[in-house]
Amino acid sequence: MAIISVQNLSKHFKVFKHHRGTLGAVRNLFSRQHTIVRAVDEISFNIQAGELVGYIGPNGAGKSTTIKMLTGLLVPTSGELLVNNLVPWKERQKYVSRVGAVFGQRTTLWWDLPVIESLSLLQYIYKIPADRFTANLKEFRDTLELDPFLDTPVRALSLGQRMRADLCAALLHDPDLLFLDEPTIGLDVVAKERIRQFIQKINRQRGTTVILTTHDLSDVEKLCQRVLIIDHGKLLFDGALNSLKERFSSKRELLVEFAEVYDEPIIDSAEISHVDGSRVSYLFSRDDISASELIGQLSAKYRIRDLEVREPEIEETIRRIYEERLLE
Amino acid sequence: MRLFWELTKISFQRHLTYRAATVAGLVTNFFFGILRASIFVALYDLQTEVEGITLQGAITYAALGQALIGYLHMFSWFELMNTVYTGDIASDLLKPMNYFSFWLAQDVGRALVNFLLRGVTVMIGYAFLFDLYWPSGLTHISAIATSMVLSLLVSFSWRFLINLTSFWTPNALGILRFFFVLSWFFSGFLMPLRFYPDWVIRISYLLPFPHMMNTTMEVYLGVLQGPEIVLALLNQVLWIVGLVAAGQLVLRMGVRRLVILGG
Repeated sequence: MAIISVQNLSKHFKVFKHHRGTLGAVRNLFSRQHTIVRAVDEISFNIQAGELVGYIGPNGAGKSTTIKMLTGLLVPTSGELLVNNLVPWKERQKYVSRVGAVFGQRTTLWWDLPVIESLSLLQYIYKIPADRFTANLKEFRDTLELDPFLDTPVRALSLGQRMRADLCAALLHDPDLLFLDEPTIGLDVVAKERIRQFIQKINRQRGTTVILTTHDLSDVEKLCQRVLIIDHGKLLFDGALNSLKERFSSKRELLVEFAEVYDEPIIDSAEISHVDGSRVSYLFSRDDISASELIGQLSAKYRIRDLEVREPEIEETIRRIYEERLLE
Repeated sequence: MRLFWELTKISFQRHLTYRAATVAGLVTNFFFGILRASIFVALYDLQTEVEGITLQGAITYAALGQALIGYLHMFSWFELMNTVYTGDIASDLLKPMNYFSFWLAQDVGRALVNFLLRGVTVMIGYAFLFDLYWPSGLTHISAIATSMVLSLLVSFSWRFLINLTSFWTPNALGILRFFFVLSWFFSGFLMPLRFYPDWVIRISYLLPFPHMMNTTMEVYLGVLQGPEIVLALLNQVLWIVGLVAAGQLVLRMGVRRLVILGG
């Protein structure tokens, strides 16, 4: 049973034409010329309960618009959307009581209240039974290490602290579904890692379905079994990250340190990309030759001291998909 | 209900901390009240009564008006609008609570602080300067109290409704300011509505504004008596029902076209 089912979902925005200059400003008053921007264009997918799905795409691709429709904040232009058997925007109050959301760019806590007061208020907002509330709060205080700043007003928190407090706030009511919109944005490496581990734990131990949008592909690499890629409002890819890598990965790299300096150590099935004395790097593609064959050929002709095979970075792959529009 | 109370409490505490703003408001209210009372003294000259209001009544009217400004908050309120423009409205809509009650609870907290710190202080201050009219008898006092509560509800549900215009326009400030000027004039804040020509009075009673302030004042001053009081309170209730219903309807339409900006 799919917890999220999306069928031909679209969201179009009207953007009114803006004329420049003083005369233009007067024209703007009367002109209703506009263009339609298809922020999300006929996308379809299903997500099963318990999945941890990454939702990625460049800026302005339609990620946030999709998340806003999924959370019931935006009304779709067309298409069907059913989450937890509810139409999010139609039954807002009922719907949001079963979901949690964290937006990296803004907080859902009260800006001028101490963290603990904001969290306590959530008990009444979500009508959380007292024992559940106490148990959850205790658990999150430990795992997210909230204690040092529980009495600090939210506005005085560091970004990492705020994000932890926000994660706690989004989960106190045991939601079935958790939306994370760039939860690691602006965080340092240690803080990112902590947040990732926490997300993984929630997904595994509580079975909470997690939808995660991010610009940081290492988030996706470390957390998500499945990834959705959107660009220009269209869904480009839906599947495992590894299969994406295999399908679109650019060339692999073999770094060789020879025992002596050779003049142009050429090999047929790979091209030399860089030479630095006895160190040479070769680019080769998976379709032409395997790494072991290449190494075999090289060692037959030259004396090798050391070597290393480098897989293409996922970032590089995704960048190529965006820039070269490989999936369209 | 528990949530309403908790939100009221938090808002109450928050507004208690705005000390500088409270003192500034207090000084302003006090100063303009003296000005307005002096104008009444000059206008009344030798007349003992105008439209059923004595000079003592008129001075009390000025004092009471100043005392109620903070409590009713009739002339400015942009908080809801601001959350629409900053996008913070997203986190409010993501919580399973009634959006109107959420804001109302906070406004009640704000009103309580302003009633205690500004309203009561202003009345006590003027009591030293002028010979004010004071209500007597339990019935009269409870009628005043009821009307004051209803006034706040009219004032709030009106402010809620007009703030919703921010769902439609990228800058609702001008629209809101226009409505706030209207309430300044038609609520009877400037002068008792009875002092205006008949046609102005008739127009004003087609609008919600008299029920925010003028009604409470007339109940306080004893201008209205017996069944007139009951009728006036009922009239307030009707306006509240109408404004709340309109607010819910407009909210539902607004949320459908809302575009939440940023991230």
